[in-house]
Amino acid sequence: MTPDNLLFLAVICLYLSGTILYLLGVLWQAPLLRRASYAAAIAGFVLHSVCLGLSLREEAGTMLLRGEFYFSLLAWSLLLIFFFLWWRLRMDFLGLLASPLALILFLSSQAVGGVRQLPETLAGLFFGLHIGSLFLSISLLAMACGAGVGYLFLERKIKTKEKLSGFARALPSLSTFDRANQWAVTGGFPLYTIGLVSGFLWAKLTWQRIFSWDPKEVVAIFIWLLFAFLFHQRLFMGWRGRKTAWLAIWVFCLSIVSMLVINFFMPTHHSFAS
Amino acid sequence: MQYTIHLFGLNHKTADVEVREAFALADGGILERALVSRESPIREALVLSTCNRVEILVSGAPEAEVASLVLSRWAGHCNRDAARLSPHIYAHAGTGAVEHVFRVASGLDSMVLGEPQILGQMKDAYRRAVGNGSTGVILNRLLHKAFSTAKKVRTATGIGASAVSISYAAVELAKRIFGETAGKKAMLIGAGEMAELAATHLLTSGISHLFVANRTFSRAKELAERFHGTAIPFENLVEHLPEADIVISSTGAPQAIIRARDIKDVLKKRRQRPMFFIDIAVPRDIDPDVNSLDNVYLYDIDDLREVVEENLAQRKEEATRAGEIVLEQVESFSHWLKALDLSPTIVDVLRYGEDIAKKELCKTLRRLGPDVSPETAKALERLALSISHKILHEPIVFLKRRSRENAGERFLDLIRRVFDLDKETVPEDAHGRGADDPACGCEDEISNKAGAPCVPTSSRN
Repeated sequence: MTPDNLLFLAVICLYLSGTILYLLGVLWQAPLLRRASYAAAIAGFVLHSVCLGLSLREEAGTMLLRGEFYFSLLAWSLLLIFFFLWWRLRMDFLGLLASPLALILFLSSQAVGGVRQLPETLAGLFFGLHIGSLFLSISLLAMACGAGVGYLFLERKIKTKEKLSGFARALPSLSTFDRANQWAVTGGFPLYTIGLVSGFLWAKLTWQRIFSWDPKEVVAIFIWLLFAFLFHQRLFMGWRGRKTAWLAIWVFCLSIVSMLVINFFMPTHHSFAS
Repeated sequence: MQYTIHLFGLNHKTADVEVREAFALADGGILERALVSRESPIREALVLSTCNRVEILVSGAPEAEVASLVLSRWAGHCNRDAARLSPHIYAHAGTGAVEHVFRVASGLDSMVLGEPQILGQMKDAYRRAVGNGSTGVILNRLLHKAFSTAKKVRTATGIGASAVSISYAAVELAKRIFGETAGKKAMLIGAGEMAELAATHLLTSGISHLFVANRTFSRAKELAERFHGTAIPFENLVEHLPEADIVISSTGAPQAIIRARDIKDVLKKRRQRPMFFIDIAVPRDIDPDVNSLDNVYLYDIDDLREVVEENLAQRKEEATRAGEIVLEQVESFSHWLKALDLSPTIVDVLRYGEDIAKKELCKTLRRLGPDVSPETAKALERLALSISHKILHEPIVFLKRRSRENAGERFLDLIRRVFDLDKETVPEDAHGRGADDPACGCEDEISNKAGAPCVPTSSRN
């Protein structure tokens, strides 16, 4: 077994134990287990960063052409955003979403393999910008989606005056959920815009065409419009709470669809595999 | 010489407000000093007096007739007749008294099951008694144990987890909505007693400003002054609503005074920031449709009462588990108390030495291997045991001499602690005040409402 494989296995084990410990911590309401799960997730994240750093240093050229790298990067950025929110808002319940999602992405990074040939200009500035900002934006959206589900759940409980059971009691307040949504929208929309614009610029440089009616591009434009609507309503019309929570959930679901369904099942030049 | 712990007291179950008032002991220190005076058979005394209970805890010689002495001193201290006191009194002795103290400290004997204030009050009373020098080894140990039991009950059961009064429940809900109540603004519509109570709770939870609107403006002004808030005329109340995050309404108006369409405009002005309405008036002041608006939450008195009742039922369940913890702790304390005598202590000290000697002997024999003759082994054992006995000889002689003195159990306790014979630790914060004990001098707010004047437990020394 090579050191690379070992590192990879360690990351999976840590993410898995983080996920399981967190679930058990929630079920049994044991704060100690939850703290252990953060420790596992943090350790996994550190090793994951090392993993990414090593593979980039060794074979930057080929790595950038591999689908697995992007999945791994997305898992990483998801956790990055989660840790940030956890640090600022104490939204530890998002761990319920972040660590399993990171685990799945990280695992699936191994399922999609294969190198495909792309022009040399690929690793340029615009491409990095395109991937980086979109991934961060999608991670923010994932968190906003989680926070949105939490908000809707708790809001319903409070509105209908239902008894707050053990799990609902451990949730953060409505305003904390809403703040997560606000951050995701104010941070995520500009990032998404940067991601799209840099993608188009890169397409112009590479294929001499800005827009090529690729299914993914069409969906991305649609998501961008929806996201712009959310951004506008949230920042300038003072929307908050339920409506923004729903919108964030929709935007995230669409981006997941565009990423997974289209990438795997439809002809697109965004495909991970050849 | 063995001592017995006695407890005499009255509480909200055995005596009504008048009796509790008449026999409250505003300064327990004087009675404590009187009880432990030189000629008295009582060696240690502690008085706990709150608005819901008066408890006198003493330790003294078992054969002494302490009951009549304590009761007559108590009644005399209040300038009342002891005959009026005795029907309301409960008396416990020995383990019964220990259990009662532990139950009281854990809030299991309180009017509101599991409330935490009583623990703070007990700590205050204990601190004062220690300052007065009226407690000794036995009560010190008993109270330390009571505090650690209370802590154990609180952490191991959910007895203190949920709000059990209307206004606590309201504040807790506000926290679910706003996260932090600190910096939020509240408005009282109508200045009744319940509103006042809720306002007090909101202010202690960090509300930054309070508006008061009332039909009689002078009353609004009076209340606003008390809470450093702003009084607003009743007619202008809707204009000020956009500033309020939490609205508590309790007017006697026959029909709704706040309607859903008013709130729609208010929300627009607030840029949809959430609002929490608490309607404790009957008939209701706020149109129930308000609850269907986004970012607005409305709870009326029945909703809150339901929350409280559910929480109370939950506490009752937890109380059975808490009772088990208390019994365990009583057992462990009784064990210590029984051992706090000359002969068991000497036996324990000797056994302590012998245990070490035997353990070391075993190690040495193992190291020497199988070819040690039985005679050598025997000689080694004799050596080890006699060293341990010789070393422990002086402490035992000292103990025999000093334990016959006045308050000799001090030395017994000292030796037991030096050799850690009871294998247990006193919690570090046994003398400190818990961070979560509110400074309120009253056990709970319901007693406030019942009009019982709160007797300050102690002047802190």
